[in-house]
Amino acid sequence: MTAYVIRRVLWVIPVLWAVATITFLLMHAVPGGPFTQDKSLPPAVNEALERRYHFDEPLWQQYGHYLINLTKGDLGLSVSNNQEVSEVVRRTFFVTAQLGLLSLLVAVIVGMTLGTVAALNHNGPFDYIGVGFATIGASVPNFILGAFISIVFAVQLGWFKLQGWGGPLEWGDVFDTGAYHWDKVVLPVVALSALPASYIARVTRASVLEVLNQDYIRTARAKGLRETTVVLRHTIKNALIPVLTVVGPLAAALVTGSFIIERMFSIPGLGLETIRAVLARDYNTIMGTTLVFTLVISIANLLVDLAYAAVDPRIRYR
Amino acid sequence: MSVRSRWFLLFTGLLSALLVIAAACGGGTSSSDKTKTASAGGGKTPAATSAGGDQAPADQQKITIQFAEPQFYDPHKSNFEQDIGVERMLFRGLYNLTDDGSGGVKVVAEGAAGDPTVNGNVLTIKLNPNAKWSDGQPVKAADYVYGIQRECDATVASPYQYVLGAGLGEVKNCDEAFNNKVPVTEVGVRAVDDTTLEITLNKPVQTIKTILALWAAFPARKDVIEKFGDNWTQPGNIVVNGPFTMKELVPKDHVTLVPNPNWYGKKPALQQITIKFIDDLSAAYRQFQTGELMATQINATDVATAKGDSTLKDAVTVVPSGRITSVEVQMKDPVLSNFNVRLALSRAVDRKALVDAVYDGIHAPATYWVVKGIKGFQGNEPFEGKIGFNLDAAKKALADAGYPNGQGLPTLKFTTRDSPQRRAEAEYLQKVWKDNLGVNIQPEFVDSKTRSARFNSGDFQLFPGGWQLDYPDIENPLKGLFDTGGGNNKYNCSDPEIDAAFQEAANATSDDARIKAYQKVETLVVTKLCGVIPLYQDSQTYLVSPKLGGVVPNGTIDAGLPGTYAVENWFVKKS
Repeated sequence: MTAYVIRRVLWVIPVLWAVATITFLLMHAVPGGPFTQDKSLPPAVNEALERRYHFDEPLWQQYGHYLINLTKGDLGLSVSNNQEVSEVVRRTFFVTAQLGLLSLLVAVIVGMTLGTVAALNHNGPFDYIGVGFATIGASVPNFILGAFISIVFAVQLGWFKLQGWGGPLEWGDVFDTGAYHWDKVVLPVVALSALPASYIARVTRASVLEVLNQDYIRTARAKGLRETTVVLRHTIKNALIPVLTVVGPLAAALVTGSFIIERMFSIPGLGLETIRAVLARDYNTIMGTTLVFTLVISIANLLVDLAYAAVDPRIRYR
Repeated sequence: MSVRSRWFLLFTGLLSALLVIAAACGGGTSSSDKTKTASAGGGKTPAATSAGGDQAPADQQKITIQFAEPQFYDPHKSNFEQDIGVERMLFRGLYNLTDDGSGGVKVVAEGAAGDPTVNGNVLTIKLNPNAKWSDGQPVKAADYVYGIQRECDATVASPYQYVLGAGLGEVKNCDEAFNNKVPVTEVGVRAVDDTTLEITLNKPVQTIKTILALWAAFPARKDVIEKFGDNWTQPGNIVVNGPFTMKELVPKDHVTLVPNPNWYGKKPALQQITIKFIDDLSAAYRQFQTGELMATQINATDVATAKGDSTLKDAVTVVPSGRITSVEVQMKDPVLSNFNVRLALSRAVDRKALVDAVYDGIHAPATYWVVKGIKGFQGNEPFEGKIGFNLDAAKKALADAGYPNGQGLPTLKFTTRDSPQRRAEAEYLQKVWKDNLGVNIQPEFVDSKTRSARFNSGDFQLFPGGWQLDYPDIENPLKGLFDTGGGNNKYNCSDPEIDAAFQEAANATSDDARIKAYQKVETLVVTKLCGVIPLYQDSQTYLVSPKLGGVVPNGTIDAGLPGTYAVENWFVKKS
């Protein structure tokens, strides 16, 4: 098991290298650079700017320098505001991770609750209500849902705010109660968690239904166990495995950010920063954010694989 | 079944509890915000207000406004509208550009005590003796010397260095220093004493006061910049000489400004300006509705909706901007080099119908190139009959070019930015040219940087573009764009008559003669359609709360939001 984990962690290094190389080549293949604009800069200005960010070097040399600096943890300067990319990524990832984890939490609680209720009330009214919610959540794109709940709950009813992230923007503010504004958190979290919640609800419902038909549940009931014990100990625990398989990729997707939701609620997150960097050809930031995505997805996949083993004793890793 | 029912009750109870908690968390601040939005509906238009006794008390003088995030807060490195908008709040130069009360622009002395004394190519400028930096030190001539030297310094790499260079500011040795031919100490600027600045030019420049009002010529503090390096614009380090100073900066989110206690001009009424960095103008629109923003840019296509909303209609502010939009034409292209083809394309477009169909009539249809608001503005009158909408003339021109009813004319490539509005515009033109002339165009939608890269390499046939003024003078939208070999002449317009008119402007000895010569340039460019087919003068569209007073929009000098050139005049009105 330990050997397996070490091997998986070491595999992250060639993956990062491959992603860095592909991203580097692709972004330089796209027309236009960071200083391209309609009002072209005089050649002397362009040269001076390229020198400042080392874009005047041949491509292979820039690539080499980037990899060497990467091993030292230096991600270079952002062309967009002259900040260290490591600082930009650290800051925006902190915000996106809060949004993503909260949304994941909400999605898991709501999704599993809906799914379980629906399954226990198979073909009853709560089943139809639960499935109905899941269908709506899965079929309404989050930019429509986001705009809809913004207009109803913030603009019309005035219950919530729309501007920026309601959690701390800096690690240093984590314990500062003034940095938390729940009226800014609820809407983006609802908008972002609706789709994963409905997905989890459907998987949970199917899984619970399957478990409820198993012989061991009939046996448990026949033994005269209380219904609570049958549901909590025997049904839900066994129904968890398929749910876990979907939660892993969902976690990675949510924690790496949603460009649309971040843009819609002016949340200074990593997803928004990535899109901005691509459009601005902010080379170092494109590389930095892509590498963070790679790292997060690799770690999430590893954790899910390990969690399978924890939940299902039949799974062994060597 | 009864056991299961209990489960349902438990779960539904849990869900309802969650929903109630969620609703309660956000409920606390709701009512006050709604009141703010509602009361915002009843005021006057912002432009019509003036400072006076209707100011709210100081503790209410706090506003939150929308901007795109600036790249720099360092005037000598800045390139973008949002940078310049914020920098005008933080820094001021020898002169400032401001509204003249009738929509035009006037130059007023701020850091300078008055007009320069001109002696041949040498300007002597006495400084305002009251001018101070935010740390209490006087603004010395040496600070202006350092600022101008920085602008001409290749290692600073200022994108606007050229405004001080040959052809525009003509500051002696600025280009040479920028090209590393002489040290920056050789740049033609020196401090005679603490309050006397001397600037040496290559030749007399009529627009020098306007040029010296630009951010490129702002003063800078050598001691502060040398001490903190690139971090000198961080809160705590930054030393400013404008009406506001920086209190807090959270990159990607906001910057907070508070009054500079040592500002020597009119004391600002506002006690705090929070500038939120918001790119998505639809999001900003909703934040204005919730009362979280007091001023924001909005999409032109949202103006009609806002005007129809009783709580927003008084906040809608539409300002003719310093930008002209045109279809740019590659003059080296074998088909488009034919004047009659260009004329046919121009005369087949009903500009008013285009603006009405695509932009709800927000922009001003234009057959001119120099925008309204500039001294020397000629308007549509001289050009409408020559290049304006006239179907018969368009068809005749195309036939004269050898392509009757478009027969034999190859499909033309039309390279444009991929945005909903640009798409609608391209589809409109595609239909108009096809229906009216039988001309086929192939729209090609690309992202902004790809589009600019194509433009700069001359790799285009038809290309919706235009020109945004850098400074409000008639030379700015012409010089470098239409002269043979000009730096921004990507259309390859090369015409001996136009070049001669430019020469006439360069040799003009009076401002009137100079403006007349540039009008001649404009007339030749437009009537020959030399690289551009003008379509409309853009308007900037904003929501500005009627509770915000002292905002005087002026499209040719606004940066980011209306009236940012004189933010010291802004105030929150009594409710």
